[in-house]
Amino acid sequence: MTYTVALAQVNPACGDLEANVKMHVSQAEDALEAGASLIVFPELSLTGYALKDQTLDIMRPVDCPEFARLRELSRHIAICAGFVEQGDDGIPYNSAFFMDAGEVRHVHRKMYLPTHGMFEELRFLGRGKQLSVFDTRFGRTGIVICRDLFHPLEVSTMAALGVELLLAPSAMPARGFGGEKLAIEQTVGLALGSASTFLGMFVVYVNRVGFDDGLGFYGGSALSDPIGGITVLAPRFEAVQVLGAVDVAHVARHRYQLPIRREEDLAIVRHALDTRRDS
Amino acid sequence: MTADTLALNNALVYDYLQRFVQEELHTNGFTEACVALSGGLDSAVVLKLAVDALGSDHVHAMFLPYSASSDESRRDARTVFEFCGIPWQELDISGMADAYLALQPGMDRLRTGNLLARLRMAVIFDQSKKEDALVVGTSNKSELLVGYSTWYGDMACAIMPLGDLYKTQVRSLAHHVGLPRQVIAKPPSADLWAGQTDEGEIGVSYETLDRILYLLVDQRCSSAEVAAEGFELDLVRRVEHKILASQFKRVSPPVAKLSQRTVGIDFLYPRDWRK
Repeated sequence: MTYTVALAQVNPACGDLEANVKMHVSQAEDALEAGASLIVFPELSLTGYALKDQTLDIMRPVDCPEFARLRELSRHIAICAGFVEQGDDGIPYNSAFFMDAGEVRHVHRKMYLPTHGMFEELRFLGRGKQLSVFDTRFGRTGIVICRDLFHPLEVSTMAALGVELLLAPSAMPARGFGGEKLAIEQTVGLALGSASTFLGMFVVYVNRVGFDDGLGFYGGSALSDPIGGITVLAPRFEAVQVLGAVDVAHVARHRYQLPIRREEDLAIVRHALDTRRDS
Repeated sequence: MTADTLALNNALVYDYLQRFVQEELHTNGFTEACVALSGGLDSAVVLKLAVDALGSDHVHAMFLPYSASSDESRRDARTVFEFCGIPWQELDISGMADAYLALQPGMDRLRTGNLLARLRMAVIFDQSKKEDALVVGTSNKSELLVGYSTWYGDMACAIMPLGDLYKTQVRSLAHHVGLPRQVIAKPPSADLWAGQTDEGEIGVSYETLDRILYLLVDQRCSSAEVAAEGFELDLVRRVEHKILASQFKRVSPPVAKLSQRTVGIDFLYPRDWRK
């Protein structure tokens, strides 16, 4: 099976849910028209990133009326988008939903919320405690949000749990302007390459563009293919929607050629963790 | 430390900064920018950047000389206006300044310099109201860190596109955008009196200062570690002291907290707050 995925490299309006929902609808309609089966938006795409105290006003349960139009659209195209989720516990989470066939199929809560230097996520948001692995018509799917992608243990565990398609909505600020590429692009490149090459996953990395209070998000969204490498790379800094083709057969073929997953012996890991519990 | 540690991909930086200027203005509902031009390097780069980002019809620049300003500054400012395709605008602040100076006999150079910087600030902010524009600041990272700038004077602005670039990086960016050589090559000066230069006043060249700052600030080295890279320990300590002594200029004034939510402490909204 081959399908088309749309990478919506957008610039959300910070704190303006209504404007962002409209933008999502329009992006999803464009993707649908272009023949895409799935559209992926960046981290916090429905709210903006540097929300601070706007977090309280903008958090919503995933079944809120504001998202009804998107749920409706998901009858025709699967949608992964970021929002501030108001949990049943009342806590705001940095989440991404996956809607398909008119339903919310999954909500991932970001597990690793950077709170250092320029980042202050844990000051406003709760921590997700679960890996997101779920089955969709695209195969076994996982979601990691931004910093989650930089945690190889979690991404490896998701691979061990059978994930073939990893969705990675992000809001990575540009920094490190010394070279041909930004320093952060090289870091992301390592994470994408490692997930695709060693773990045999497709990764749909969608990073936003635009500025929130001096933080400039660099874009550079990419589709990472276990066989083809980076097959789609969106430009830096530009708001743009790009399309990529996913041939799901590449997962099995790559894992046959480089059978790392077949070699993997989780008992070794389990034993090591069990016997080092004190550390 | 290698010599090119501070080298930047200027094309990438310039592209990014143009987008920063565009977005910071547009998301706040502005299309126009005001820049106070001194004839020096930083304001020349900012003017060129604003013109490239917004179009020359949307940038309002003004040369604000005092009677002691050098002819060279006027000449270089004219060159930059022409280079950027902007109509010449000049407003002499001598009358405003002298009216106050006459009331305060014996003002030293520092007070006078601060006064002139704050008068220029008052003028450019008034112009920005007239033009429905935002003031684009010209401070660079070197001067922000050592405090070689006037609080609520030349530091006052709506956005600061060069604030994360050291002076030597601004100079390199100036080469990249093709600013006239005479503007790039002349010694940086606040032009408050004849022969004044930044480097004479700060007591070190920008090449050296920027490398020390880079190690202290970006690399978080201790002064001893910086000295081990080949800099005089006394100089490194002096730079460190300048950073500490000017911290007050880089933060908002502390508010005495009394209530549940206090402006500046826990009333936390982004600058780009849109509801």
